[in-house]
Amino acid sequence: MSREPLLEVTNLVKTFGGFRALDGVTFTLHKGEIMGLVGPNGSGKTTCINVISGLYKPDSGNLRFLGKTIAGQAPHKMARLGINRTFQVPKPFRELTVAENILVVHATNKHTEIGDPLEFVGLKNVAHRKAGSLTSGQQKLLDLARALASGPSLLLIDELAAGLSPSELDDVAEKLLTLATRGISLLVVEHLLGFVNQLTQRVIVMNAGKEIFEGDLASAAKDERVVEVYLGR
Amino acid sequence: MLFTLISGILIGIFYGLMGLGLNFIFGVMKIVNLAHGDFVMLGAFGVYLAYSVWNLNPLIALGIELVIFLAIGIPLYYGFVPRLLKSRDPEMLSLILFFGLSQVIESLASFAFGTNPDTVNPTVFGSQPVNIFGQSIQMSWIVAVLISLLAMAFMYGYLYHTKIGIATRAIMGHRTEAMSSGINVHRVSAIAFAIGIALAITAGSMTPFVLGGIYPSMGVDLTTTSFAVIVIGSLGNPLGTILGGLIYGICLMLMQTYLPSWSSLVPYLLLILILLFRPSGLLGRRERNA
Amino acid sequence: MRKRMLANVLIILLLFLLFAVGPSIYQNQSLIFQMMVFMALAQGVNILYGFTGYLPFGYVGFFGIGAYGAAIAVNLLHVPALVAVILGGFSALLAGLVLSPLLRLSGAYFSIGSLAASEILYNVVSNDSLQPITGGPYGVNLAGIFDEQTSYVVMLLLLVLATAFVTYLRSSRFGMSLIAIREDPVSAEMAGIHVVRTRVFVWLATAVLAGLVGATYAWHISVFYPNTVFDLSVSIFAIVFTLFGGGTTVLGPVVGTILLYGLYNAIGISSPQYFQLIYGVLIMALVLFLPNGLMSLLTRRGIYVP
Repeated sequence: MSREPLLEVTNLVKTFGGFRALDGVTFTLHKGEIMGLVGPNGSGKTTCINVISGLYKPDSGNLRFLGKTIAGQAPHKMARLGINRTFQVPKPFRELTVAENILVVHATNKHTEIGDPLEFVGLKNVAHRKAGSLTSGQQKLLDLARALASGPSLLLIDELAAGLSPSELDDVAEKLLTLATRGISLLVVEHLLGFVNQLTQRVIVMNAGKEIFEGDLASAAKDERVVEVYLGR
Repeated sequence: MLFTLISGILIGIFYGLMGLGLNFIFGVMKIVNLAHGDFVMLGAFGVYLAYSVWNLNPLIALGIELVIFLAIGIPLYYGFVPRLLKSRDPEMLSLILFFGLSQVIESLASFAFGTNPDTVNPTVFGSQPVNIFGQSIQMSWIVAVLISLLAMAFMYGYLYHTKIGIATRAIMGHRTEAMSSGINVHRVSAIAFAIGIALAITAGSMTPFVLGGIYPSMGVDLTTTSFAVIVIGSLGNPLGTILGGLIYGICLMLMQTYLPSWSSLVPYLLLILILLFRPSGLLGRRERNA
Repeated sequence: MRKRMLANVLIILLLFLLFAVGPSIYQNQSLIFQMMVFMALAQGVNILYGFTGYLPFGYVGFFGIGAYGAAIAVNLLHVPALVAVILGGFSALLAGLVLSPLLRLSGAYFSIGSLAASEILYNVVSNDSLQPITGGPYGVNLAGIFDEQTSYVVMLLLLVLATAFVTYLRSSRFGMSLIAIREDPVSAEMAGIHVVRTRVFVWLATAVLAGLVGATYAWHISVFYPNTVFDLSVSIFAIVFTLFGGGTTVLGPVVGTILLYGLYNAIGISSPQYFQLIYGVLIMALVLFLPNGLMSLLTRRGIYVP
C-alpha cells in the first residue's frame, strides 16, 4: 500500500449555534486505505463527512485533498474533484429510473477500474425500474453506485450497515474491500463495530466532536475512554 | 401621527385575527388553505345578508355563522385533507386543491350576491365615536378589535388549557410522534380545520366595518394579505400572527397617510422582504424548507 | 430512442401545422392566437414546475413585464416591432435576474413569493405617478405598429421554440439532471450537478419565454391595460392547463390547453361564473383523483408519453 496522503484533515471545527459538533478533528487518510470513523450517536461522525463532502462549510481548520486546500468548496465541486459519499438515509432520484440515476452523474475523472457501477453493486437487473420503487436495501446500493459513477478517489460511507440483512452486509463489505484494492480510499462512518471489523483495523473513535482514540480496532476495545463512551455514561 | 399609530394598532389586531385561521391550519396540517380569503368573504356576506334581509345584529349573525361553518368544516376536512396528506406532495397539491375550492366558492357567491360591492351600515353598533388618547375612533372598529381579541383569547385557552388543544399542539410539534402516542390525529386535525375556518368567518363578519365594501372576488387579496401577516410573524406560530398583524397594520396606516398611492404595495413588499431576509419570520427559528 | 425522437419531431410539426393552417379553417383568429399564448405560457410553467418543482403563481409578472417592455420600447424609443419584442424578452430577463433570490425559497413559500413579486410589478407599472412612462392605469396604445399577421407568425415561432425546448429537456441529460435536482438537491450536488446555476438558468429561460410571449401579445392586441397583462388568472390558467394535461411531458400542456381553453371559450366568456364553477370543481377533482394529470392515465400503464 502506498503511503501517499490523499486527505489531510487538520483541526476541523464546526459549530451549530453554540454547539460544537466538530471540535478540532485531525487525521490523515492515504491512498487505497480504509478507515473506520466510529463513535456513539451525536459524536460528530456524520458532521465530519458532511464537511468533507462540502455540505457544510467548516468554521475553521483545514482540508487538503491530494495536496490542495479544498475546505469550503461546494459539494458539486467536491464530487468533481473526486470526493463522493453515500447517505445514511439513501436519497435516490425517485422519479428517474435506476439507469438514469447513474446517467445524470458528472463523471469527470474516468475511473474505469470498477466498470459499470450498476453491474458492480448488482442492480443491473432493475436498471429500468423507477428508483422510488426499490427496496431500501436496493436504494442503499443505488446510492453507492451513484457515488461510484462520479469516479471518486475518496468515498465517504455513512452508516451503510443500518437496515441491511447479515448476508447483504457480507456482500457489501466484500464490495467495499474490492474498491480499496482498486485504489479508492474509504472513510467508513459506522455505528456497528462488527461491520467495521470486516473492513479495516484502523479506526478513529469520536465523542462529543473530539477524537478520543486513533489506532487499531483491537486496542480501541481495550482503551479506557473508548470503553467508557461505549458502555458507561 | 398618533391617529395613524392608533388606527394601525387597531386594524393590526384585526389583521392578526384574519391571519390566525390560515396559520392555524398550516401549523397543524402543513397545508395551505388558499380558500381562506373566500371564507372571510363568506363571513362578510353572511353578516350583510342577515342585516339587510332580516335586520339581524351582526353579532347574532356571527353566532349563527359560527355554528354553520364549524359544522361545514368537519366534513370538508374528511373529504379533502386525509387524501391530500397521503399524496406525494401535500403542500403543493393543497395549494392547487384549495385554489379550486376558492374558485367554486367565489363563483357560487357571485351567483348569490352579484359582482358589485355591497356595504353594511357601519353605524349598526351605534354612531357615537369612541375617544382613545384624544382620537375619535368609530364604534364599529372597536367592536371588530374586541371580537379579534376575544377570538385570540379563545385560541389561547383552547391550545393551552384543554385536552384536545394540548393534543393539537403535540401534532403541531411532531405529527408522527403524536400519531404513535395514541392521539387521534384525524379527529384533532378535523376540529382544528373547522376552527381555522371559523376564525376566517369571524374575521369576515367584521370585514364590512373595517374594510368597507365587500364583493365575491375579494378573497384572493384577503388570502395574500393573510399570508403576508403570518409570514411576517412566522408560519405555524399563533403568537407570531398577532405580531405580524400589528406590524402589517401600522405599516399600512403609515403608507396610507404619507404615501397613499403606493400603499397597495405594502402587503406584497413586506411579504417578499420578510421571505428573503428573515425567512423564518420574526418569531421563527427553524430553517424555511417547506 | 430513435422512435421517441421521431415522436417529438412529429409533435412539433403537427403543432406548427395546426396553428399555421388554423386561421384559414377557423375564422376566429384571435381565439387561436390566445390559445397559442396560453400554450406557450403553459410550456413555460411546465419547464419550471414540471422539471424543477417551482410552482410560479406569479408567472404572469414576466408576461406583463414583457408586454410593457415592448410597449415602452415602441412608444419612447420608437424601435421597430421585432426589436421591441426582443427588448420585451430582455426586460423579463432583467426582472428574472432581480427576482432570482426567490429561488432560495421552496414549496408554498416560493409560490406565494412569486405571486407577491408579480403584484409588485403590477402595482408599480399601473401606478399613477409613472404615467409618463407606462401610461399608468390608463393603458397603452400601440396602434402605430399594429400588424396582426406578423405578430401571429412570431407567436407561432415562439410556441414551436418553447415546445422544442421541452422536448429537449424530455430527452436530454440536462433535462434529467433538472429532475434529479427536483427530486433531491443534495444528491444532485453529489452527482456533480451545479444546482444553483442550473436552477437560475431554467428560471431565466422561462422568464425570457414569458417576456417574449407577453411582448408579442402586446404587439398583437395593440391596446391593453395593466390589469390585462398582469391578470393573475393568466398564471393560474397556465398552471392549471399544465397540471391538467400532465407536467414533465411535452404533450401534457398542449392537450391541457386545447381542452381547457376550448372549454373556456365555449362557456367562459359568455357566462364566466359557470366557467369558474366548473373550473374550480375540475381543479379539485384533478388534485384528488388524478394528481399527475391526464397523461398519467397512459404512463401508469407503462405507455411512453413524449
